[in-house]
Order: sequence, then C-alpha cells, then structure tokens
Amino acid sequence: MPRWGMVIDLDRCTGCGACETACKSENNVATVSSDQADLGRATAWMRVMTEVEGEFPNTTMRFMPRPCMHCDNPPCVKVCPVAATYINDEGIVGQIYPRCIGCRYCANACPYTVKYFNWFAPEWPESERAHLNPDVSVRPKGVIEKCTFCHHRLQKAREDARAEGRELREADYQPACVDACPTGAIVFGDLDDPQHRVAELKHDARAMRLMEDLGTEPKVYYLTPRAGT
Amino acid sequence: MTVRWSALRSRAVGAFTGLRGAGWLRGPTLLGLLALVALVVVVLASRSRPVAQPVAFNHVKHTQDLELGCEFCHQNVNTGARAGLPNAETCSACHQEQQGNSAEAVRVTTLLAKGDPLRFNKLFRLADHVYFAHRRHVEIAKLECSQCHGAIATTRRPPSRPLTRVNMKFCLSCHQAKKQSVDCVACHR
Ligand code: HEC
Ligand code: HEC
Ligand code: HEC
Ligand code: HEC
Ligand code: HEC
Repeated sequence: MPRWGMVIDLDRCTGCGACETACKSENNVATVSSDQADLGRATAWMRVMTEVEGEFPNTTMRFMPRPCMHCDNPPCVKVCPVAATYINDEGIVGQIYPRCIGCRYCANACPYTVKYFNWFAPEWPESERAHLNPDVSVRPKGVIEKCTFCHHRLQKAREDARAEGRELREADYQPACVDACPTGAIVFGDLDDPQHRVAELKHDARAMRLMEDLGTEPKVYYLTPRAGT
Repeated sequence: MTVRWSALRSRAVGAFTGLRGAGWLRGPTLLGLLALVALVVVVLASRSRPVAQPVAFNHVKHTQDLELGCEFCHQNVNTGARAGLPNAETCSACHQEQQGNSAEAVRVTTLLAKGDPLRFNKLFRLADHVYFAHRRHVEIAKLECSQCHGAIATTRRPPSRPLTRVNMKFCLSCHQAKKQSVDCVACHR
C-alpha cells in the first residue's frame, strides 16, 4: 500500500509561481474579484508564500510553496461532522464535495489554512471557460475544497497500469505542480517505497515539516535552505 | 393584496380541513399542505426527464439481425472512459442508400441527405463529480453491458428513461461483492 507524499526543496524554489498556476488550471480553481480576495476569499490549492528576511539592504526573499499537507493525523478529519473529509488507506486526505455541508469546521481546524470555502458560484474569465479540465469536477458554492495531490491523475494512472497489466510506476502519477516546476524543486511519490526519490529525500539532513510539534504528521516535507543561500 | 391573501388562505385552509372554527390549527395545516406540495414537486423533479432521440433507432435490428458489435457505434467503450454515441457519419456507412423499406429507415436516409448531424442524447448519466471508466469495466473486468444497462441491446425503439438505476448503491453493491475499491476518492473527483 503506497503512502503518497511530497518533498519540496526550498533551495531550488525561485518563487516563479508555475506550480500555483498549473494547479489552478489543472483543478478548475475558480477566481474571485479582487475585493473578495482582499477579504481572504481567494482559493489557491497551492500557494507560494513569500517572506523578506533580513534588514534592508541586506535582504533575502524566501519562498515556500504550500499545498495541503495530507497529514497522517489530520485535524480537519476529526472535526468533520459528516465524514465528507477523511484520510484513505494511501494517505490522501479526500474531500467529497457532494457530502460536504459547508460548515467550515475543517477550514478552521487546519493549522496550515489550506482548506478553502466556496463563497460564490464558480466563475472564470471568459477566455478560460472553454479550457476547464473534464477530469476534475467544478465545485458548487457552499462547499470546502483543497489540494487532492491531483488524485484524479492517480485514477487514470492506475487504470492505464491495469490495462497494460503492470505495476504503477513512480513517473505514472505526478501532480500538476510537480510537472510544472521548472527547477525540479517539488518531488512526489510513495514515502514508503525505497525506489521512490521521496523515500530517501525525507531523511535528508535538511528535511523538516511544518508545525511538527502539533503532531499532525504532515506528508509534505521541506528541505530547508542551506546556510548562505 | 395582504387582505386578499389572508382571506384566500382562510378559505382555502377552511375548505381543505373543514376546521373553520379551529383557528389555532390553520397555520400548521397550511404549512403541512405546503410541505406536501413541496414533496410532490421534489419527487416529480427527481425523476429523470424523458430523453428524446432524433430517430427511432432499433438495437435489435442492428446488433442481432446485422450482427454489428457494440463498439461499431459506441467507439470508445473498450478504450476510453466514455463509450460515446454514434452520429451521422457512423450511420452514413449504410444509410446513405436506402436500407430495407420501413418508414423510419427512409427518414434516416432523407435526414442524412439533408446533412442532419443526427445528435443522439445521453440516456444513462452520472453527476460529473463521479469518475467512471468503461475501459476498466468492459475491457479489463470483462463485465457484460447488460449488467449495468439492462436490456438495452434488445430494444426496438430508444428508451426514454434509463432501464436501470445507476447510482452509488448500485456501484458499491458490485464492488463489495467483487472485493473492489469502496474508497470515496476512487470514484469521486
Ligand atoms: C452496417 C450497416 C448499417 C449501419 C452502420 C446502420 N444501419 Fe440502420 N439499418 C441497416 C439495415 C440493413 C436496415 C434495414 C433492416 C431491415 O429493414 O431489415 C436498417 C434499419 C434502420 C432503421 C429502421 C429500423 C426499423 O425498426 O425498421 C433505422 C431507424 C436505422 N436503421 C437507423 C440507423 C441509425 C440511426 C444508424 C447510425 C447510428 C444506423 N442505422 C446505422 C443497416 C445499417
Ligand atoms: C448501429 C449503431 C449501434 C450499435 C451497433 C449499437 N448501438 Fe447502442 N445506441 C445506438 C444509438 C443510435 C443509441 C441512441 C438511441 C437509443 O437509445 O436507441 C444507442 C444507445 C445505447 C445506450 C444508451 C446510451 C446512453 O445515452 O446512455 C446503450 C447503453 C447502448 N446503446 C448499448 C449498446 C450495446 C450494449 C450494444 C451492443 C450489443 C449497442 N449499443 C450497439 C447505436 C448503436
Ligand atoms: C459497470 C457498469 C457499466 C457497464 C458494464 C457498461 N456501462 Fe455503459 N455506462 C455506465 C454508466 C454509469 C454510464 C453513464 C456514464 C456517465 O454519464 O458518465 C454509461 C454510459 C454509456 C453510454 C452513453 C454514452 C457515454 O459515453 O456516456 C453508452 C453508449 C454505453 N454506456 C454503452 C455501453 C456498452 C456498449 C457497454 C458494454 C460493452 C457498456 N456500456 C457497459 C455503466 C456501464
Ligand atoms: C464505486 C464508486 C463510488 C464510491 C466508492 C463512492 N461513491 Fe459516492 N457516488 C457514486 C455514484 C455513482 C454517485 C451518484 C452520482 C449521480 O447521482 O449521478 C455517488 C453519489 C454520492 C453522493 C451524492 C448523493 C446524492 O444524492 O447526490 C455523496 C454524498 C457521495 N456519493 C458520497 C460518498 C462517500 C462519502 C464515499 C466514501 C465513503 C463515496 N461516496 C464512495 C459512486 C461512488
Ligand atoms: C457489476 C460490477 C460492477 C459495477 C456495477 C461497477 N463496478 Fe466498478 N469495478 C468493477 C470491477 C470488477 C473493478 C476492477 C476492475 C479491474 O480488475 O481492474 C472495478 C473498478 C472500478 C474502479 C477502479 C477502482 C480502483 O481500484 O482504482 C472505479 C473507479 C470504479 N470501478 C467505479 C465504478 C462506478 C463509479 C460504478 C457505478 C457507476 C461502478 N464502478 C460500478 C465492477 C463493477
């Protein structure tokens, strides 16, 4: 049984935002008006967080791409009153939209603030409407959504492997953000399979996870910047 | 307006319940009546709408008498998620010329000559938050079409409603029986 996870090398991240854009287009993430975005109602399943470090003029820009952490001990799942969000055997934290009642307990329970509420019926600029991804459903107003590790890609990859009568390979299932990253900063795979790169990277000396003290056991690891970079 | 409405209400409710005197019952009774109407509306709306087709296609004639395979017209049934429906191009292979002498076959040839695209409408339909692939079930699991679509292959006219009720319970009962995935994200997306 795989346990899907991600390792993000912050030394390689240039903050270009390709992952964020690729994610939005892959997952039919709707846009909101800028005044609603100012109220914190914009959705980005993957968001590149930025921070300026140091005193001017000796400053460094830090970037941190932040998807759902797919915690092994997810606080959001514990509070869902209707089991619309749950963790499956392979460690993916699922969000079943038709089951969701929009109470937003999970969004409040999530310490990483990566669960988003749909305040409005989904909307896109005219030019993008024809390019919605048919493999991902459009979420209605009033439900929570979040990064799924592009599990619709897993549905297809698994089926392809089955049709060809072989095992699933590491390269078969990669989320859109990973494919889009020009510097290879994001690595994805089975954390328990020694053949997969993430299994080794998670033991790197630079590896850390966000808010580890909370005991959420996130499956997204970061490789911290080396000194002097 | 308000006066008329209340008069109407008391008359309607009174007539319905015969409880003119029992004023305290009127509110709740009216609510009950409205709930009943709402229930009927919901039940009617939740029944699928009848599906109309451009011509009275006959599965028996084409699949049994002419022995055409299902994939002749439902071209992606073995290879794709969606089976697909045929269009004018598929039918033209034979119906450009008159086939047989039934009135409906004559109409098909006439429509094709006029350049009608023959757009058939989907009958079985899942909400788009569900992932279902024919390839997985037909090509890989070797299931019969009839296990999910009922007696569609023996219809002589297009059915206006799905012959079977394909819902989550239906999927799960087979998946449980065959020890297949019942994980929510296997089917939901
Ligand atoms: C391989 C050749 C072939 C193809 C392809 C084909 N048909 Fe036919 N079709 C026939 C023949 C032959 C008959 C006449 C059978 C008879 O009358 O015994 C027929 C009869 C019919 C009839 C009359 C049915 C009836 O009940 O009498 C209709 C309607 C029809 N076809 C529609 C279609 C449509 C719509 C398509 C495309 C989706 C199509 N056919 C594709 C060969 C074909
Ligand atoms: C010659 C073309 C042709 C062949 C061969 C054919 N079909 Fe069809 N099929 C159609 C057309 C046209 C429709 C739409 C009209 C109707 O429902 O009769 C249709 C509709 C259907 C539907 C309903 C699709 C929906 O919209 O949900 C199913 C299921 C189906 N066919 C199954 C089969 C099976 C099973 C076979 C093989 C045994 C088969 N068909 C062979 C032409 C064909
Ligand atoms: C395990 C159940 C199952 C089996 C087996 C199955 N189907 Fe379907 N079929 C469905 C469902 C469910 C839909 C509706 C899909 C949707 O709306 O996304 C469907 C839709 C269709 C459609 C409508 C067009 C489309 O692409 O959505 C056709 C045609 C069709 N099936 C033909 C077939 C034929 C032919 C076979 C056998 C070779 C077959 N199916 C076997 C479940 C099944
Ligand atoms: C084998 C496939 C499958 C699995 C596994 C599955 N579902 Fe479904 N689910 C469906 C189908 C099919 C529908 C019906 C869609 C439609 O009505 O067109 C559905 C519909 C639903 C609906 C909407 C019901 C409605 O009335 O609209 C909810 C809620 C739901 N599923 C929740 C879940 C949850 C929670 C799980 C995991 C415990 C789950 N599903 C697992 C196939 C599945
Ligand atoms: C008659 C039995 C049957 C029915 C009905 C059925 N399935 Fe399946 N399904 C199977 C079998 C068998 C497999 C495994 C195929 C294989 O060997 O890979 C499967 C596999 C799947 C898978 C892949 C699961 C995985 O492990 O990744 C999905 C998704 C799926 N079915 C969805 C559906 C949905 C949605 C429906 C209802 C619309 C449905 N199935 C109805 C028998 C069925």
